[in-house]
Amino acid sequence: MDLAAGQSPVLELRGISCAYEPNRPAVEQITLTVHQGEILCLLGPSGCGKTTILRAIAGFERITDGSISLSGRLVSSRDVMVPTEQRHIGMVFQEYALFPHLRVEKNIAFGLSHLSRPQQKAIVDDLLTLTGLRGLEHRYPHELSGGQQQRVALARALALRPVLLLLDEPFSNLDPDMASRMRQDLHALLRQTKTTAILVTHDHDEAFSMADRVAVLNRGRLEQFDTPEAIYHVPTTPFVADFVGQADFISGVVTNDVVTSEIGEFPNTQHLATGTSVVVMIRPDDIHIVPTKGADAHILARQFKGSENVYTIQLPSGQIVHSSESSLSIYQVGTAIALRVVATHTVLFPQPLESSGKKDPGHGNAPPP
Amino acid sequence: MLTATRAHAPSSLQWISLITAAFLVLPTCYIIYVALTAAPTVWSRLWSTRIPELLWNTLSLAAGVALTTLLLGVSLAWITVRYEFPGRRVWEWALALPLAMPTYVLAYVYAHLLGMGGPVEQGWQTLLGPDARLLSPQSFVGVTLIMALDTFPFVYLLVRGALLNLNSSFEEVARVCGVSLWATLWRVTLPLIRPAIAAGLALVILYVISDFGAVSLLRYQTLTYAVYQQMTSRYDHTAASILSLLLVVMAIIFLVTERWFRQRSRFYQTSGRYRRATRHHAGPAGTALITGYVVLVFGAAFGIPAAMLIQWSIEAIAQGALDTRFLGFIWNSSFLSALAACGAVIIGLPLAYLASRRPSRLNLACLQAAYAGYALPGPVAALAVLVLFTHFVPVLYGTVAVLLVAYILHFLPVGLQSMEPALQQITPNVEEVARTLGCTTRRTLRRVTLPLIRNGFIAAWVLMFLQTMKELPATLLLRPVGFDTLAIRVWLEASEEYYQLAAPAALLIVILSLPALLLLVSKDWRGRDQEVVT
Repeated sequence: MDLAAGQSPVLELRGISCAYEPNRPAVEQITLTVHQGEILCLLGPSGCGKTTILRAIAGFERITDGSISLSGRLVSSRDVMVPTEQRHIGMVFQEYALFPHLRVEKNIAFGLSHLSRPQQKAIVDDLLTLTGLRGLEHRYPHELSGGQQQRVALARALALRPVLLLLDEPFSNLDPDMASRMRQDLHALLRQTKTTAILVTHDHDEAFSMADRVAVLNRGRLEQFDTPEAIYHVPTTPFVADFVGQADFISGVVTNDVVTSEIGEFPNTQHLATGTSVVVMIRPDDIHIVPTKGADAHILARQFKGSENVYTIQLPSGQIVHSSESSLSIYQVGTAIALRVVATHTVLFPQPLESSGKKDPGHGNAPPP
Repeated sequence: MLTATRAHAPSSLQWISLITAAFLVLPTCYIIYVALTAAPTVWSRLWSTRIPELLWNTLSLAAGVALTTLLLGVSLAWITVRYEFPGRRVWEWALALPLAMPTYVLAYVYAHLLGMGGPVEQGWQTLLGPDARLLSPQSFVGVTLIMALDTFPFVYLLVRGALLNLNSSFEEVARVCGVSLWATLWRVTLPLIRPAIAAGLALVILYVISDFGAVSLLRYQTLTYAVYQQMTSRYDHTAASILSLLLVVMAIIFLVTERWFRQRSRFYQTSGRYRRATRHHAGPAGTALITGYVVLVFGAAFGIPAAMLIQWSIEAIAQGALDTRFLGFIWNSSFLSALAACGAVIIGLPLAYLASRRPSRLNLACLQAAYAGYALPGPVAALAVLVLFTHFVPVLYGTVAVLLVAYILHFLPVGLQSMEPALQQITPNVEEVARTLGCTTRRTLRRVTLPLIRNGFIAAWVLMFLQTMKELPATLLLRPVGFDTLAIRVWLEASEEYYQLAAPAALLIVILSLPALLLLVSKDWRGRDQEVVT
């Protein structure tokens, strides 16, 4: 990143592990860096350890291995544990955790008690405008809607100009329609304030629309750390491929420098030896269907999603694949179809498929040994 | 959410709580020690003579009062929260007033009213002939009713608070599922307020078990009364300890059971949308019935006794009962009660905080240790504290300090019952967010935790103040020579059946308790739900 040139990263995790019980690490060997102004998403299913990482950065959890540095200063390691209040981070909790006994303005000004009254008021005023909360400053948290509560929590976290803002599933308590608007607002706000942020989510759409880089986690381990585009198009593990969008996995064999499969040939991008069994990952938007009399694949189901139709297709071998078509292309279930495959986004994995996933050292930022 | 960081290092708070707990169990241990090392002949003598009767009297009385307060407390809380009727706002807090009326005051008023040759019996006999007998205040039913009328507000207030905090969505969900109104009450509402009911009944039963004032005036033989008699008329501390051991065992069994139920239903406050149930109008007949019921209970528990006290006080004052001695009693009572309540809140805070935040075995055990104090009836607490002080710090013997220690030991559980729920409703995230905003642990406690638990702690302080003000047996046994409180005067004069003479002091106890009580029922105290009311 250009912004990072010549500066130490805002956050550096080096091989950190956390364990609630000995010998059962909740997260293991996580290495990540976040640069000034960057928005990072920790993405993964529930229980993958993403909130644990966030809490370790905040200083709520002790780490059993590795180190955490904020702006070049070591804050956590096996022996070092800088208290939360000295880390200059902001945090927005999933439940917002607004102080129920304080009005909106007092909630926002909570961390500013070292400043004079006029200074506090100026900062609070700025934040009220920035977050669109003007007019609500005298309300109590229970008198606000969910979205307003979230913005108060955000304003409160930003008031101290933290070096790093941590957001734990900030949209999970909001109405989905609201959430997409709030996402855009939050993204604009973070950019406008040049805030460096880490956002935890289990929703890949949210991660893709918010993040500069995404760290995909599974069972306490980092699966892949890259840009949203790379995560989607060039997943390095089958887990990532499956988790960040609909994907089908088709077996094939390497012959004469191409991969031959039931739905056609793909380039042997990994230069595997002839005869190797592989699995090809393909996304629905790479498969198109053409109704063809006498073709041996047929439509099993159609799912209308508004902007698109997703067809479930059964191949002669019984293998299921999916195809995404425009919302106007409507075919009957049972129609015989031919497949047209655009082979540019396919990804190869060596057999056998493992959901835990092995890292491909050629991609992403795999942790050092 | 227990944080790994905190689990590692035992903080200074941890040590304070451990030491406090150790001091709080010391007297209990001493009593058990004395009882267990007593000669077998003393045990067998007591078993063959007094114990069966005393056990039966105590247990049946506790059960009777618990059942009565359950019915009174829950029904009144339900009526005042869910129905609209004339004067509802007044009755709402008026129903808490009996808390200001000590059992011995109620007992002495009813001993006179319902007693042989009393005004009620005279009226009854005019109607039904000279042989008609009324319910005797000295009978089981009489004592049960008098004590229930005095203690039902414990259940009423706690259940009322729970009902006000109840999110009506739970009930609405049940109705949507096709469950009838009564079944919803039974299957949804009652289970949700069960912790409050359990906490209220726990207070009531422990109160009855250790009550001395009413049973001594009505001469109803319970274990606690017997302990006092052993100590004062026979000076038999061993027999007193054996009887106390029975009481302690009973109370501990009960406390553990109650805890177990409460552990199973720990409700954290949920943020998000909350709606309070709407009030119903019961229709003319229903409204008349409801109002009549409320007026009847209030009249019996507070209205009539208060009227009697006022009438007697006027007569007594006309005879010159108010003098400078009387002012001294007032000062002694208020001063002692305020000191004891402050001390107990300070001592109880680390115990309740640790048990709710870091519910490790050790911390829960420390909290249980504090509850053990309530298992000591007043006379026993007095005996144990007295002997411990004369043994270790004889300088303090006969001073107010000894009395304060006994009060704190005895009444801390009352306070803890309100402090604990207040602490339990704060989510750990609220404290953690303060840490991210630059507050140290200590500042977080001062700026977030304390303001949030303030209302619960005010309630705790008030309850302990009220209890100390009324306290009788420990004061009787431990007061410095010539140091009389209002409660002592009432008891001494009522024992001699000087009804008029006892009235001014009794009335004053009631009046002095009123501001504290107002605080308890005021809008601010309701603030448990302050954060969710719209």
